[in-house]
Amino acid sequence: MPFNGKSGKFNASINTVEVGCGEKAMKIGGENVFPFYTFDAPIENAPKIGVMITDLGLENEPAGVKAYYEGCTTLGEIAKKAAEMPGADFVCLKLEGGDPNGANKSTEECMAAVKEVVDAIDVPLVISGCKNVARDTELLQKAAEVAQGKNVIILAAREEDYKTVAAAAGLAYNQKVGAESADDINLAKQLNVLISQLGVAPANIVMDVGTAAVGYGFEYVVSTMDRVKAAALGQNDTQLQMPMITPVADEAWNVKEAMATEEDMPEWGPQEDRGIGMEVSTAASVLACGANAVILKHPASVATISKMINELM
Amino acid sequence: MAKFVTIGERLSTTAPAVNKAFTNRDPEPIIQRAKQQLDAGAVYLDVNIGPAENDGPELMKWVVQLLQSEFDNVPLALDTANKAAIEAGISVYNRAKGKPIVNSADAGGRIEYIDLAAANDAIVIALCNAEGIAADNDERMTYCQTMLERGMELGMDPQDMWFDPLFLVIKGMQDKQMQILEFIKMLSDMELNSTGGLSNNSNGMPKAIRPIMDSAMVAMAMMCGLTSAIVNPNDLRLMETIKSCDIIKNNTLYADSYLEI
Repeated sequence: MPFNGKSGKFNASINTVEVGCGEKAMKIGGENVFPFYTFDAPIENAPKIGVMITDLGLENEPAGVKAYYEGCTTLGEIAKKAAEMPGADFVCLKLEGGDPNGANKSTEECMAAVKEVVDAIDVPLVISGCKNVARDTELLQKAAEVAQGKNVIILAAREEDYKTVAAAAGLAYNQKVGAESADDINLAKQLNVLISQLGVAPANIVMDVGTAAVGYGFEYVVSTMDRVKAAALGQNDTQLQMPMITPVADEAWNVKEAMATEEDMPEWGPQEDRGIGMEVSTAASVLACGANAVILKHPASVATISKMINELM
Repeated sequence: MAKFVTIGERLSTTAPAVNKAFTNRDPEPIIQRAKQQLDAGAVYLDVNIGPAENDGPELMKWVVQLLQSEFDNVPLALDTANKAAIEAGISVYNRAKGKPIVNSADAGGRIEYIDLAAANDAIVIALCNAEGIAADNDERMTYCQTMLERGMELGMDPQDMWFDPLFLVIKGMQDKQMQILEFIKMLSDMELNSTGGLSNNSNGMPKAIRPIMDSAMVAMAMMCGLTSAIVNPNDLRLMETIKSCDIIKNNTLYADSYLEI
């Protein structure tokens, strides 16, 4: 019998979500095949890469990151330079300074940072919080207001605060809502249902289903992302057809492989190279599992992942 | 596995209000019943216009266009003894949300409905029955094979033939119920799709009992591999049972709000 190749194209597809505005607006999602399966059907929107910056500036960044931003003195200049990073499609501003256990900046200070970044760049923007839920509820709600008209992604609304954050971002200020869960596929779906029930249109929701650096329980990340894509495409589950965005930098640069100094671990080689290695391998892995966008911070990682995406598309 | 396909049965000439609306071309009652069924989670809607000997083609066209324009190309099952009416309905049917279903063929006098489905790239409900009620599963399987071969010879995808075991009324044929379920299992083992008029089983029972019996029947039938049923989607207990069975069978992913979606 002759071999008949069967296309792995699905009848269902991931929602297309447009972020940003004007010429530099980007689209994520839209595919009806598994990640990078361009041999089954064309993938119109290649996965996108974001560059993470924080309102705390460059003080805690590795030398290679500092070198890239050399000469930048204000947050606005840093944001502008991040937007120009070769291979990057968007910028992610992390309001790290809002953390009550850290710099504990006032909401006004944080919003001034948002305003400065919004005014400085014309590429799409993602605004993420400080990971303290109580504080983020306030910060992200305000940030959605400050960035009005820019069609940004507010990352993220969680089970604890979705009513406030998703309502502000998705309903009051017409931004995109990032729905965050932590490697729990049932909760990922439930959160989408709840946010939809608030009245936010599916085309205005993206998911962060949780991540970890490779080697740190990463198999949970893989199975969650795989099952989300399989249900979205294979079972036409409309409550899971939101594109996925994965913040990689925070995880990858905060594990011992990236943090141990060369003095302490001479046999591991240069510290910064290890951080890049963790960032690149984590990003490549989540993209292979279906992430439609990743957030990185090192220019070397951005260049490598951008090359990988271009070669595979 | 794909999610269970519910076909809403409430647009039928057997309901006097619907019959009257069909006759008078009165859209309101039809739209209202269709909306109730879709809001309750029906995937397909069955449109039963009865024998429709006089104006079948024209009536079917009217209903198809009415429903599809009102409800975003809702997929439909076209249900009548008038073949010309089914063809007329398909001629104006939009396939964006799913192929039309021809309801129905059997292995006896209505076998040509398979030809009709094949010629129009439609799904066909194939009743495993000829004249009278099949004596046993061997007889049902013979009918199934006859219809399957006919469809395949005409180029149909076997997945587009939804075999109907013919649910039998419990009050009168209680001893046949397990046989029907076993036949569904046989269809499932052959990887064939199946459907049927589920509520036949509870015919003649008190109104309060029917949802309970229908729910039990659908759960057991889904366990055996039933992939679809013609149901009253406004039977909440039944729909909740179907959604729960879809979760247990891993046809849909669980979320705490699964009954609301």
